[in-house]
Amino acid sequence: MKDQWTDRLSEYLDSELAGGDRTALEAHLATCGECRTTLAELRRVVARAKSLEDRPPRTDLWPGVAERIGAGKVVALPRRRLSFSVPQLIAASVALVLLSGAAVRLALEPPREPVDGGPRGGVQVVSWPGRTDAAIAELENALAQNESRLDTATVRVVKENLAVIDRAVAEARRALAVDPNNTYLNRHLAETMRRKVELLRRVNAIATAQS
Amino acid sequence: MAPQALEGPLTRDEPTVAADAEAADTALAASGDGSAFERLYRTHVARIHSLVRRMLDADEADDLTQDIFVRAWQKLPTFRGESAFGTWLHRLAVNVVLARRKAVGVERGRYRSDEDALDGISGRRETPEMTVDFEEALSRLPDGARQVFVLHDVAGYRHEEIARMLGVVPGTSKSQLHHARMALRKHLER
Repeated sequence: MKDQWTDRLSEYLDSELAGGDRTALEAHLATCGECRTTLAELRRVVARAKSLEDRPPRTDLWPGVAERIGAGKVVALPRRRLSFSVPQLIAASVALVLLSGAAVRLALEPPREPVDGGPRGGVQVVSWPGRTDAAIAELENALAQNESRLDTATVRVVKENLAVIDRAVAEARRALAVDPNNTYLNRHLAETMRRKVELLRRVNAIATAQS
Repeated sequence: MAPQALEGPLTRDEPTVAADAEAADTALAASGDGSAFERLYRTHVARIHSLVRRMLDADEADDLTQDIFVRAWQKLPTFRGESAFGTWLHRLAVNVVLARRKAVGVERGRYRSDEDALDGISGRRETPEMTVDFEEALSRLPDGARQVFVLHDVAGYRHEEIARMLGVVPGTSKSQLHHARMALRKHLER
């Protein structure tokens, strides 16, 4: 059975009923068991909707997407699982940073011709959101607390090489101050900071595992 | 000390690191890095595919999900980072789905509030053995009630936003939502 208040129950549930109507509906609820039952059911519907689980498609749709966007590499990427030693990882990180850092220095030189925008010439690059600095600061604090769990040689190597990465980041930022829309520089900065986060994260994980 | 193996799960602050990694991947993808875009795809495909499946017929979900990610790739250079990538992508997906609905004319009867039609999907209350899965019941709602319910109760949009998306007044969105909930309460698991 419906009464004049039944159609207002969803608004009441969503706190969208104005003061007078809300008071009147609450008075009605105190005397109408059917509306109370309906309200409870509506509340369960809302809770059920929020609990619906997202399911991936049954087939992998990425190859079709990759083909259409010309991504080239149509490879399903397994979740990365590193099994390198600390020195190996640091060496790899720093080598990549130094390699691309050379290109940053080139970018810092006065351009002989307009800098190419990268794979999509003229592309407007997204602004760096700034969350990375906070994440790195937190990871560095954690490393400071955890470093006693690592041997001193490893700590020294980690710190020396984090300094190298920091110099690369600073270089990239200086270059970006001159040419903020340079696609390569934005990409390089993002990738360098990503490597630093990854390195800090892994070293912290090792240190924590030692405890 | 021997070299230490770098294995094992993250031990702290995973949400922050994940958000940071996604921000980096978004920047990389915007500059044309297909591998970074694939990581974004794999993170978000379940949410997007589920949205499409709930708002349209399931047999269209795969194609439209691919269309959405292709569109996202094309529009990424316009992404300014003012919201999370996932929020931006979801809104883009809603727009693509609504455009698709319009194109195929499924919005016919969109604002139908005929409760008999909604009651037509009932079954559980009277005959418990005829239980209909909640998602299945959702897919059988009239179009207007279905899309408002998905956008409001599943995806979390406000009536004002939904009204703008659908080109209706907020009151219509509220009314459709109520009708959808009233129909779906008959399919709650007990």
